Amino acid sequence: MLATALRVPEDAATREVAPREVPSLKAPAAPLARPETPRSATGIGVTIRDLKKDFDGHTVIEGLDLHIPAGQFVAVVGRSGCGKSTLLRLILGLESPSAGRIGLESQAVRTPTKRIMFQEPRLLPWARVVDNVAVGLGEGGTRADRRAKAQTALAEVGLTEKAGNWPATLSGGQRQRVALARALVSHPGLLALDEPLGALDALTRIDMQAMIERIWQAQGFTAILVTHDVAEAVALADRILVVEAGRIALDVSVDVPRPRRRGDADLAALEGRILDHLLSERAPA
Amino acid sequence: MSTTSFKTRTIERLTPWLVPVAILLGWQVAASTGLVSTRFMPAPSGVIAAGWQAARSGELWTNLSISFARAAVGFLIGGGIGFALGLANGLSQLSERLTDTTLQMIRNIPHLSLIPLVILWFGIDEEAKLFLVAIGVFFPVYANTLHGIRSVDPQLVEMGRVYGMSPLSLFTRVVLPGALPSIFVGLRYALGIMWLTLIVAETISASSGLGYMAMQAREFMLVDVVVLAIVIYAGLGKAADAVTRLLERRFLAWNPAYRNA
Repeated sequence: MLATALRVPEDAATREVAPREVPSLKAPAAPLARPETPRSATGIGVTIRDLKKDFDGHTVIEGLDLHIPAGQFVAVVGRSGCGKSTLLRLILGLESPSAGRIGLESQAVRTPTKRIMFQEPRLLPWARVVDNVAVGLGEGGTRADRRAKAQTALAEVGLTEKAGNWPATLSGGQRQRVALARALVSHPGLLALDEPLGALDALTRIDMQAMIERIWQAQGFTAILVTHDVAEAVALADRILVVEAGRIALDVSVDVPRPRRRGDADLAALEGRILDHLLSERAPA
Repeated sequence: MSTTSFKTRTIERLTPWLVPVAILLGWQVAASTGLVSTRFMPAPSGVIAAGWQAARSGELWTNLSISFARAAVGFLIGGGIGFALGLANGLSQLSERLTDTTLQMIRNIPHLSLIPLVILWFGIDEEAKLFLVAIGVFFPVYANTLHGIRSVDPQLVEMGRVYGMSPLSLFTRVVLPGALPSIFVGLRYALGIMWLTLIVAETISASSGLGYMAMQAREFMLVDVVVLAIVIYAGLGKAADAVTRLLERRFLAWNPAYRNA
């Protein structure tokens, strides 16, 4: 109950601040600091014990332990091939572990869904934007009902007027927003983001980051973001995991209040620390 | 403004017909001035007259509908089997391993070379024509359906799976629409081969149909009827093409390559 009470002013404050507007001085007031404890009733908590994954005798993940509280925004960074995408696929159940176990727990009555947003939008070119979003609802439901829900999700990402378009007529950023709406339309308990903004230009990326943050705060799902971009991880996440050779090498929490300002000194220091860690891995082989 | 654009559009639409009309006019002039003997090449007006007469006697409609029915039935049989096998082999590795090599071997036989064999088997009855059309149509439909299914973006298939699509809806919402452009290419080829095969089959051995009408006219030196038959074939081919275009515009509207075609 306390957690819910705390969330209200926070959400209200973020909605008032437009994505690219400079935050007012009043905005980052004390109660906005997010508590470390789980605060979400819709989010899925993830507990991983001694996880191991081999591909053809080659070990990608070894002896990994991790707990992600429900509703947390976790960023996973690491070098290419460190196993971070495999970890994401394992959590989603797209791959099965060679050993160990992954537990997902949720407080919701109905089992909430897990959704993924890929690096590419992966929209069906032959379906209108609104029908692409409706794909996220799974099967079942009347056509009108599905469309209504899809329209709501499209409004959330600011693409209401594009509902009847073919995906081919949208820009790259708009397509990725449709993909976000598709991932969110079923109100998932867990949203996995597999470098979803990697292919976008810098300004579009910043807009999308703000949009993801805003929707996450409103819906309270657990978010796991795999990214190469340490600045992105620092800007969005409650907690950053650095994965190295199939293990978690660094686990830091980001105690900077939201909304966060780009270029904030604390964020920059943290980014520098994580980058140093990533770069030092390379030195001796 | 709107009249200008209307004018431009009309001109744009009429341009492709300039050359055919010029040829027709030149032909008419050459025939009526005696430059070309009408014993070998009738004037367009003569062909139209022959067409009018054949239409009035009902002979034209009988032969046309017989040819059309043969084409359609042969196409449905051959295209249907080709489509089904293309789907099966595109979706199932077992089915592909079992049948693809055999089909590729048969494909290398020119289907018209089977005519003597087909006449031995079926005589000059309907089955002979249907068999040849079906065989001719089968391969382009089969090969392009298979290719279309193979070239469906695997990332989209993975997305469909992750988003909980059942195998059936994965097929109807992802795989089939993805294969459709290629399937249409096969359809166009198949329609061309359909007419070609039917003309050859009817010319060589038939007792009805357009090809038969042309062959009989040759016996009586009715050049105008021969040319009439050829013109009708051209028209039928064009009609088949137009239908395919219409279908493409309807079903591939999402594809920028077809939207403005």
